[in-house]
Amino acid sequence: MIEVRNLCKHYGARKAVDDISFTVNDGEIVGFLGPNGAGKTTTIRILTCYHPATSGSARVAGFDVLSQSMQVRRNVGYLPETVPLYPEMRVREFLRFRGKLRGLSRADRESCIARVVERCWLREVVDRPISQLSKGYRQRVGLADALLHNPRVLILDEPTVGLDPTQIRETRSLIRELTRDHTVILSSHILPEVEATCGRIVIINRGRLVASGTPQELRSRRGDGAVHAEVRAPVEEALSAVRELANGAKVTAEAADGWTRLRVESTSDLREPIFRLSTQRGWTLRELRRDAGSLEDFFVRIVADAQLQAQQ
Amino acid sequence: MRATIAIMQRELLSMFCTPIGYVVIAGFLLILGVLVILTEGFEPGQPATLRNAFGLMPFILAFVVPAIAMRTLSEEYRNGTIEGMMTAPISDAQLVLGKFLGSAAFYAVMLATSLIYPILMQVYGSPDWGAVFSTYVGLMLIGLFFLAVSIFTSSFSSNQIIAWITASVLLASFAVGGFLLVRHVGGFWRQLIQRANVMGRFEEAALGLFTTGSLVCFGALAGLFLFLTIKVVESRRWR
Repeated sequence: MIEVRNLCKHYGARKAVDDISFTVNDGEIVGFLGPNGAGKTTTIRILTCYHPATSGSARVAGFDVLSQSMQVRRNVGYLPETVPLYPEMRVREFLRFRGKLRGLSRADRESCIARVVERCWLREVVDRPISQLSKGYRQRVGLADALLHNPRVLILDEPTVGLDPTQIRETRSLIRELTRDHTVILSSHILPEVEATCGRIVIINRGRLVASGTPQELRSRRGDGAVHAEVRAPVEEALSAVRELANGAKVTAEAADGWTRLRVESTSDLREPIFRLSTQRGWTLRELRRDAGSLEDFFVRIVADAQLQAQQ
Repeated sequence: MRATIAIMQRELLSMFCTPIGYVVIAGFLLILGVLVILTEGFEPGQPATLRNAFGLMPFILAFVVPAIAMRTLSEEYRNGTIEGMMTAPISDAQLVLGKFLGSAAFYAVMLATSLIYPILMQVYGSPDWGAVFSTYVGLMLIGLFFLAVSIFTSSFSSNQIIAWITASVLLASFAVGGFLLVRHVGGFWRQLIQRANVMGRFEEAALGLFTTGSLVCFGALAGLFLFLTIKVVESRRWR
């Protein structure tokens, strides 16, 4: 659905996007993650035909963003970072205007407006001027505009920035619902957001793609999950028994008021084997827990690594 | 086409949904009213015309017209709404043309408010309606050209005031410049200035002389500046 090949965008000598390639399949929801100024918005603007790339190519919905710009624009719903709204217009007026720009006929327009108003919970504000709306409502009006023509591809730049927690949750569930009919790219610098909504994550930093995969893949690549167990057993015995189970992974043990705390640094889930071991040996098991390693740590490390590389 | 009309409608509506439209019309009427009082002495036996006041109209318009068009593109840049426009399936030409037509419609409304003077003349005398008509056609044409220049300056800056002042200075010097320059140059340049002299063209129209030459001159100038505006808007994509 979206195919990006060796995309570069230079502003003078500064490389905002530096050789990025990725693909997004039909019906996928992909999160574009990176610190502020990483090149997310620039990439998105190239995909939405707002500005052309310096080199490389991108196809959206089967059309080239440079040579078939109009077809791309017709098939894309775009929510920019600063939602482009005319404050003096009423919500319904604004949506009608956008419908006309997209060439919807009068009958289509009204039914499309009714649909997006319903979907984006705008019914109470549809006849209010946009200047009177709160940030959250404005964001929803922008989203309604992006959905208006039922596009195949939805591109959302920081869709939840500036919303309160309830609104963030609502927007996320709305976006998840949308994947049934649309392919979605959303950008964010907030990791939990991407983790909660996206099937796949593309991490970029300083204009370069540094990692991509499902949240699980990225987590396992991080390689520092751990299993914690607390058993009533002699330290030496517990240590050697668990080492056998752990298959060469690093195991540490310490004694504390008659209990032995074990920590196995392994990405594989050793909870069940440890439970069986302790029942076999007749140890009392007080705690058994696994740290999967948060994606947040992974993200921070990847960004830090890239920064380090850049400095060298 | 539908998109161009939609942009035009939105442009016209937003002039009346915000104070700017009313302020511009009020300012226009105020200046015109003062001019009429200062320059016209209606006396029995004299022809009922407003030639003196309306003859100065291009100078008023040089400041009023940029105020109509200053926001067209500047405001889109400032509010970031340009991003919504440039990623919608419309060409840059449609965008600029819609803006131009919307401003032109507002300009026509503004001009219509000044019809109060010919109507007053009709009440107290018998004006030459042929001359009135051709004056208004002349004003409309000169206005379209001024609007095109104003939209052009608006396409450069996200600051409306800069757009307004730049356009006013350009247009005022255009209106006066013809008179001043024509004495100092000769040959080809003199001819060119005489042909492109906006004020001369307008005075012709005010006398009831309406020529195809004027139509072509104003039309071509407006077209040129609209074309340049489209190119400026396009070029913003590449920055």
